[in-house]
Amino acid sequence: MRVPVRSHRARRAAALGLLTTGAVLLPAADAFAGLFAPEGGGSPNANSIRELYLFIFGLGCIVFFGVGGLFLYTIRRYRARKGAVAAQIHGNTRLEIAWTLGAAALLVLIAVATFIKLPSIENPPNSGPGGLPLSAATGSWVPASSAQNLPPNGKSLQIDVNGQQYVWRYTYPDADKNNLNNVFSYQEMVVPTNTTVTLSIRSQDVAHSWWIPQLGGKFDAIPGYTNYTWFKISKPGLYKGQCAELCGRNHANMTAQVRAVTPAQFVAWYQRQKTNIATADKLAAAERTALTAAQAKLAAKANALNAAQNAGTTGAIKSAPAAASAAAGKALFVTGNPSTGALACGACHTLKAAGTAGQTGPNLDTGLAGKAPAFILTSIVNPGKDITKGYQNGIMPANYAKTLTKQQLASLVAYIVSVHGK
Amino acid sequence: MTTTQIAPSPSVTAVPEIVAHDVRREGTGWISWLTTTDHKRIGIMYMVASWIFLIIGGVEALLIRLQLGQADNDFITPQSYNALFTMHGLTMVFLFLMPMIAGVGNYLIPLMIGARDMAFPRLNALSLWLFIAGGLVFYGSLLYSPPECGWTCYAPLSEATYSPTGGVDAFIFLVHLTGIASFLGAMNFFVTIANMRAPGMGWGRLPLFVWTMLTQAILLIISIPVVAAAVTLLLTDRHFGTHFYDPTNGGSPLLWQHLFWFFGHPEVYILVLPGFGIISEILPVFSRKPIFGYKAIAAATLGIAFIGSLVWAHHMFTTPLPYAVLVFFSLMTFLVAIPTGVKIFNWIATLWRGTIEFRVPMLFACGFLGTFLLGGVTGIFLATFPVDWQLQDTYFVVAHFHYTIIGGAVFPILGGLYYWFPKFSGRMLSERMGKWSFWIILVGFWTTFLVQHAAGLSGMPRRIYEYADVNHLQLYNEISTVGSFILAFGILLTVVNVLRSLKHGAVAGPDPWKANTLEWFTTSPPPANNFDTVPRVRSVEPMKDIRRQVERQSRELAAAGAPAGS
Repeated sequence: MRVPVRSHRARRAAALGLLTTGAVLLPAADAFAGLFAPEGGGSPNANSIRELYLFIFGLGCIVFFGVGGLFLYTIRRYRARKGAVAAQIHGNTRLEIAWTLGAAALLVLIAVATFIKLPSIENPPNSGPGGLPLSAATGSWVPASSAQNLPPNGKSLQIDVNGQQYVWRYTYPDADKNNLNNVFSYQEMVVPTNTTVTLSIRSQDVAHSWWIPQLGGKFDAIPGYTNYTWFKISKPGLYKGQCAELCGRNHANMTAQVRAVTPAQFVAWYQRQKTNIATADKLAAAERTALTAAQAKLAAKANALNAAQNAGTTGAIKSAPAAASAAAGKALFVTGNPSTGALACGACHTLKAAGTAGQTGPNLDTGLAGKAPAFILTSIVNPGKDITKGYQNGIMPANYAKTLTKQQLASLVAYIVSVHGK
Repeated sequence: MTTTQIAPSPSVTAVPEIVAHDVRREGTGWISWLTTTDHKRIGIMYMVASWIFLIIGGVEALLIRLQLGQADNDFITPQSYNALFTMHGLTMVFLFLMPMIAGVGNYLIPLMIGARDMAFPRLNALSLWLFIAGGLVFYGSLLYSPPECGWTCYAPLSEATYSPTGGVDAFIFLVHLTGIASFLGAMNFFVTIANMRAPGMGWGRLPLFVWTMLTQAILLIISIPVVAAAVTLLLTDRHFGTHFYDPTNGGSPLLWQHLFWFFGHPEVYILVLPGFGIISEILPVFSRKPIFGYKAIAAATLGIAFIGSLVWAHHMFTTPLPYAVLVFFSLMTFLVAIPTGVKIFNWIATLWRGTIEFRVPMLFACGFLGTFLLGGVTGIFLATFPVDWQLQDTYFVVAHFHYTIIGGAVFPILGGLYYWFPKFSGRMLSERMGKWSFWIILVGFWTTFLVQHAAGLSGMPRRIYEYADVNHLQLYNEISTVGSFILAFGILLTVVNVLRSLKHGAVAGPDPWKANTLEWFTTSPPPANNFDTVPRVRSVEPMKDIRRQVERQSRELAAAGAPAGS
């Protein structure tokens, strides 16, 4: 008695299942575009894949519902009943051959359909009449690599796609071999409509996979390899996708989108990018020029002073009298130049005009009175040359030529001369 | 006259019987289990450990489904999510299905072929403990950092630069330890089947389950060394300065993919062929008919294994490969559908004109047929390489391989559990609870995975921890999450059923199903030596012959005895 109840229940469940399926299917087919088949509508290759899929889907339904139906019929029809006796059949060679050939025929059919559809999936067509004119007139675009499938006329907008954890970078190569000067963008790729776009897909770290469902299948970005694909968009709009190969923790966030705009808008965008790059280049160049000029000026001065030192100290002072300043000299005399370790003269020497009263070294009010600037300079940079009586050689630092610049030395000499000149 | 008439004595009846006079009882303490070399005890330990790992892997799956139940969910961090799906996949393949099949094979192969144990009992124990060690080492990574690279562990993501923690090393250990276990187990099966069959059991009378286990053993022997080499190269890349998979130093990430899938695709058949074998045992018993086309099914098994070893690059259709390679692997994959289709037709033909009894093992066998059929049909989509370009690495693929693996391996294993539990334990599982469990599992499974095809077709890649609610992805995922909990509940019912029936199940007797193969010839559970006398095998259904012989002889006995009595 339980058997009919159960089959009743099963029938009710089946009806409920059908109703639910119907309720899911009823809404506009558009809203559930991805329910039964991969997305298409963006590019002809995606559409061809979708058509091939639908062909296999049709055959698959026949097989699934055919075989499944036969199976369900069999288990209902031949369930154990009173008095039923199972037929002791061991096999049937003809039947075996028949369904082997049947399955093979079905697969041949699918293989043929695949090879019929394949050219429209793998070979890009020429750009449409309304597309970006990819000729010498606009031709800042370089032709794509010969390793990939190209349109019959060989002209396509080539974009290099580079995967990296966790973003896509797109470079639009042009005649400038330095790809840092090429237009590029991250995450969003801008392309013209009605134009065949060919992609070279690479990775710089781990494996990624380029996939915009509406623009065709996915192509892995494998480090060390280059993969190729293409698309051609007729409707302006935004086509979204994301990385399809596990590439690390934020794999889910490695999204991509293609913005299709009219060729005119594309040219404008492209030119804007180019201009931005050029402007940035110009600013950088100007800055670079200014810096170079300033550098050159300093170098020239240094060279001059070097030359002066080589020629002899007197010459240096004569050649740069304007640079010498008695006031600066006085400051140096009193405080020295702590940043280079030049001790103040006044710490050891007495000079009334400077207000110093050091006793370590000779009194300069008397010791240098009436001396020539050359003698004064020598006494500073080479103190051991002429030792005042009563003082030891080596007390005074012998490194003033290093710790003071030539200009500072000149100032110092000028100051001392000016003191004694009064 | 009557005095001279000799009544047929019991000793004259040539009916083979178990006469267990002098069998040493096995110990029952836990040490006797740890040290056992008995194939039945090893089989049971394999199966129990596999069930534990099934539950762990199942909980991981439920956590994944919880995270995906809602768009833009932040229940689980990306790091934990990646670790979860990696551990789920590896657990189900290496720690649930492979050892479960090894366990079922261990228990049944010697019994089915009339042998007293495996050919190498101590090697058999080593296999078990290596598998357990692999599981422990792998789950030890929970203490530091589990792998996050997916069960395929593609280089260069699995290289030290991008996965510096020890998780990938735990993966390498897992593959090595369970790999050696499977390899040794496979050799053991091969030698046992080749040499220890009952008298009269030629290759044409080998039970179909044993045929599939033999084929599986060959596949393991071919493919395990390749994956062992692949992970060894990964190990030296990570720790000893080699660059096999490092493109910045002349290595190739595609090398890993080729080596991995050279193992990885035969692995699919390693998992489902024994399932096919279990189905080929269950269907004839419960439709009371011989298997239809025994030779065709055995040949199809070998055909699947052969072609299945030459299709690995269909996992790589989106990588930079020449068209010739894509076409070759696409057509080879089409070819593998033919022997698979042959099997399905043979199974349906086995049911045709039978008297089908819907006991629980039969229900699971029917669930297998319907579910695996869809898995096979979606496989054709994926085999067509331009179509695969859209489907690869999406939830369509996730749905497809769950249909083939759960449909092709887990349903048969559950059916096999209900079928052979009486033999393992001496008690029947509850039929009522089993039926509930089957229907809940079937509904739960289809609810979880059918809709995942749509999620994939709507643009959802696999292995993403979050997704935006576009193209109804949230709806599909909600349905799937609800289904996964229904499925888990169904599995739980069977676990409860097993635990209850161990003590409270009806006593089974040696042959509760009136089955066909030799394991039903001995007591339930069988004694340590399996058989005292091994009957001569005269067909592929020796137990049917034996039952007929018993009937005939008892009729003769009755006929002979009747005049004497009158």
